[in-house]
Amino acid sequence: MKKLEYIRSVLNVFAKSPFKPLAIHASKGTEAVLKLSEAMDAYFEGDMDRVMVLSEEIDMIEHEADVIKQAIRSQLSSSIMLPVNAEDLLNFLKPQDSIADVTQDVAYWLTLQHNEIPDDIKEGMLDIMSKTVETAKTYEELVGTLSDLLETSFSKKEVEEALSIVPRVEELEHEVDVIEKRLVRLLFKEQDQLGGTGVYHLTELIFTLGKIADKAENASDRLRTMILRR
Amino acid sequence: MDVFNPLIVLLVLAGLYMAWNIGANDLANAMGTSVGSGALSLKQVIIVAGVFEFLGAVMFGKRVTSTIAKGIIPVDSIKMIDPHIVVIGMLAAILAAGFWITLATLYNLPVSTTHSIVGAVLGFGLVTAYQGLIAFSSIDWGLLGKIVASWLISPVLGAVLAYIIFSIIRILFLQKTDHPYNIEKKFVKLQILTACYIAFAHGSNDVANAVGPLYAGLDALGVVNTVVPTWVMVVGGLGMVIGLATWGYRVIETIGTRITELTPTRGFSAEFATATVVVLHSFSSLPISTTHTLVGSVIGVGLAGGLAAVDLSVIWKIVASWVVTVPAAALTSAVLFVGLMGIGL
Repeated sequence: MKKLEYIRSVLNVFAKSPFKPLAIHASKGTEAVLKLSEAMDAYFEGDMDRVMVLSEEIDMIEHEADVIKQAIRSQLSSSIMLPVNAEDLLNFLKPQDSIADVTQDVAYWLTLQHNEIPDDIKEGMLDIMSKTVETAKTYEELVGTLSDLLETSFSKKEVEEALSIVPRVEELEHEVDVIEKRLVRLLFKEQDQLGGTGVYHLTELIFTLGKIADKAENASDRLRTMILRR
Repeated sequence: MDVFNPLIVLLVLAGLYMAWNIGANDLANAMGTSVGSGALSLKQVIIVAGVFEFLGAVMFGKRVTSTIAKGIIPVDSIKMIDPHIVVIGMLAAILAAGFWITLATLYNLPVSTTHSIVGAVLGFGLVTAYQGLIAFSSIDWGLLGKIVASWLISPVLGAVLAYIIFSIIRILFLQKTDHPYNIEKKFVKLQILTACYIAFAHGSNDVANAVGPLYAGLDALGVVNTVVPTWVMVVGGLGMVIGLATWGYRVIETIGTRITELTPTRGFSAEFATATVVVLHSFSSLPISTTHTLVGSVIGVGLAGGLAAVDLSVIWKIVASWVVTVPAAALTSAVLFVGLMGIGL
């Protein structure tokens, strides 16, 4: 039975802030990407058991992110007034959630087959992975500025500071794109060594991996829209 | 004064119960925001609230008390017919309002003590009119209309004022600084002032909800003069402070720990706006709900972009509580009055 409280209060007017869970949700994305980076290292070491374990851990993180996302969505009923447009908020939550989703896909794909990979390709893959980690971290930093924005009630300076992070995410995403294209071209050149399935497997892997940065860039773009349209 | 007159004892006890309820919840709500931001400790807030609530009630509470005691229904005409009717009627009114407030508090409904007591006093007036003791037209419907209008206007006014105050703070301080947290620190000090201000304002308006009918009853018994005596206000002030000290501190604790969104700049804006609106109404002799005004002010801060999330559905709950409370309290008061007269009290 609910404990009886002899209270009439003004508390009902204060709704739960969606901004803290949003930041936690963003950190789940980064967490998943960092795990993927570990899985990639294990892959190159040929430790497929470790890859499998990490893939399962990423599944868990993705699930946690989903739960947070659903909680945020269910909190935002039509009667809740936010300092930003609620629709804009949900619009950036979606690609932000995809960061963990796509990371999960990459990790799963990684578990499917082990390839012997030439050094130049391996180097490229490690490169694209580290750029992706950087993109995710920069994106998380951007989401982290939201609390300062709220604190100062969107002061010009804070808005500028936040928005200055967006081009950094865009730049990183572009760098990922460039490596991705170069790498896939390289894969096809090495098809004699990699074999047909090897090329297919690695191409798909790199394309999907590239999508993580796409999602982060997409989310940061929508986050900017949310801040500017407020 | 015959202190052993059971009617006097009953009236004072009922008035104290009402005052206790007001102190335990409404005052606690008004003060909770200062504890939430860390401006004052729980002990300090109880002392500040006690002193200023008491001062507000004793120094500035008589206008609204007169409105509730004699403004709405023609108490003096009823007194001329039979003072006993007034005594029982006012006792019924406090008991009815106290009953509704207790019920509302148990179910955490945003019911105002002000609305309850106005409804209850009106209920008593309507019964006497129904019995033919007074004319329906002798009830001051114009004043009642003004009071009801002030219930609509006061939260809106709180919202507008809080919006303006927070916007000024935002433009002058928050948006110009590199260190918003330092600004917040400075406002912690200012929040001590607004805590005093809001306690004073609350005392000046809400004390009437407890002592208005008490005064009318004592007046009919011939124990007090035509001017509201200070000791009656002291009873009300004391009752509210006791309510705060014996139960309100728990409400303050609950509110203080759950309102983390209301940083000092936001809390200052909402409190200053609320206190100003309430004092203005006390000056105009109009009984309003401090809690509803505070809700309006918080929404005003939210509209100015000061809060992470505000739930506007509370507006409809408050409106519903207006619509239900007045007739419910009136009916309860009328039934109690008839009952009490029936048992020959």
